[in-house]
Amino acid sequence: MREPEVWTLGRLLAEDLGPTVVWATPSVAARTGASLPHSVLDPQAALPDATRTLIAVGGGTLMDAAKIFRAESRPDLRLIAIPSVWGSGAEASPVAVAQDGLRKRIRLGDQYVPDVRVRWPELADSLSDRGIRRACGDAWSHALEAFLSPLADAPLRRAIAALIGRMRELPIGRDARWFDVSVDACRVQAASSVGLTHGIAHTLEGPLRAEQADFGWGHAALCATFLWPVMSLNLRLSEGTARKFEEEGLDLSAVLARTRLVFDEDGYDRAVGPLATRWREVLRDPCTRTNGVLVRPGALEHFVGKAFAA
Amino acid sequence: MSNREKLKNLVLDVFLLDESEFRFDLLREDIGTWDSLGTVSLAVGIQDVFGHHLSPAEATSLASVADIVAILRARGVDFPDA
Repeated sequence: MREPEVWTLGRLLAEDLGPTVVWATPSVAARTGASLPHSVLDPQAALPDATRTLIAVGGGTLMDAAKIFRAESRPDLRLIAIPSVWGSGAEASPVAVAQDGLRKRIRLGDQYVPDVRVRWPELADSLSDRGIRRACGDAWSHALEAFLSPLADAPLRRAIAALIGRMRELPIGRDARWFDVSVDACRVQAASSVGLTHGIAHTLEGPLRAEQADFGWGHAALCATFLWPVMSLNLRLSEGTARKFEEEGLDLSAVLARTRLVFDEDGYDRAVGPLATRWREVLRDPCTRTNGVLVRPGALEHFVGKAFAA
Repeated sequence: MSNREKLKNLVLDVFLLDESEFRFDLLREDIGTWDSLGTVSLAVGIQDVFGHHLSPAEATSLASVADIVAILRARGVDFPDA
């Protein structure tokens, strides 16, 4: 798998990038415009032909849009990714997810890996506490679903266990180390797969954004909200789930405690109705079908009845 | 529940079939959802329900419900009337 170079902000400012355009998530556009000597353009606007470098500053959605644009429309561009928050790992991942109507479509390949990722952790300073918890939940969902994936072989599972050990040392809170850990979590899920948490997130994100626009639903919010309920289901349905943690010497109760910390009960209560409505779509989602435990139609009752909270 | 019923329920749930669509002589090509991801789900389900791990080569070699019965029988799972 291709790896992006890692630069500091200082190096970015010192490099001669040629004609450069910046795409930035609205929450960091002003800061980006004030700090970088390049034009900040709306991603919907046409890119000047002379552009040689595209800098994408923002969250996973904007990053993925830039990756897809570069790979599929302007492969001559150099793509520099600057994450404004951790969690998605999109700044280093060969996976790019695009919204297609109400559905998500996943692309995978080296052509989607940015050329450079830049460390600029101060961009996360303006994020709310809820946003921070969601970002941590996003990273945890990548690592845990990759760990339990039926596509993870023994060496990969061992490597993911070591990563989970590192993640346990980080708070569910602000810590710049999350950026690099999230990249590693994204890398391992690209090498194995994700599971039901992602199947739910991919199915519900589009509808919830449309139906509950005020709540700020996105991929990270959904992963954080459903990770604990899904982990609980996996443990209930198969003894093999706990055995995998035991075999790698991981403290399952400590890991579960992390998933409870990122859980958002208010969000869960808003999302569980739409989950029931779209359960059949969730079951058909490719991520659900590579969950560590077989997800049967009857598993919906676990979510509707909040069996995980009992 | 008999192993025959367990397998039937497993196939229904993995491939999201209606009960009326199930037969023990179903072939892989009869089941639209038996794609590569379906094979992964099936292997996970066999592990969950029967406690037997299939290698990737074994899982991808399955081409019918009868093949599933055969591989489980070879592992000592009893299917008296399948």
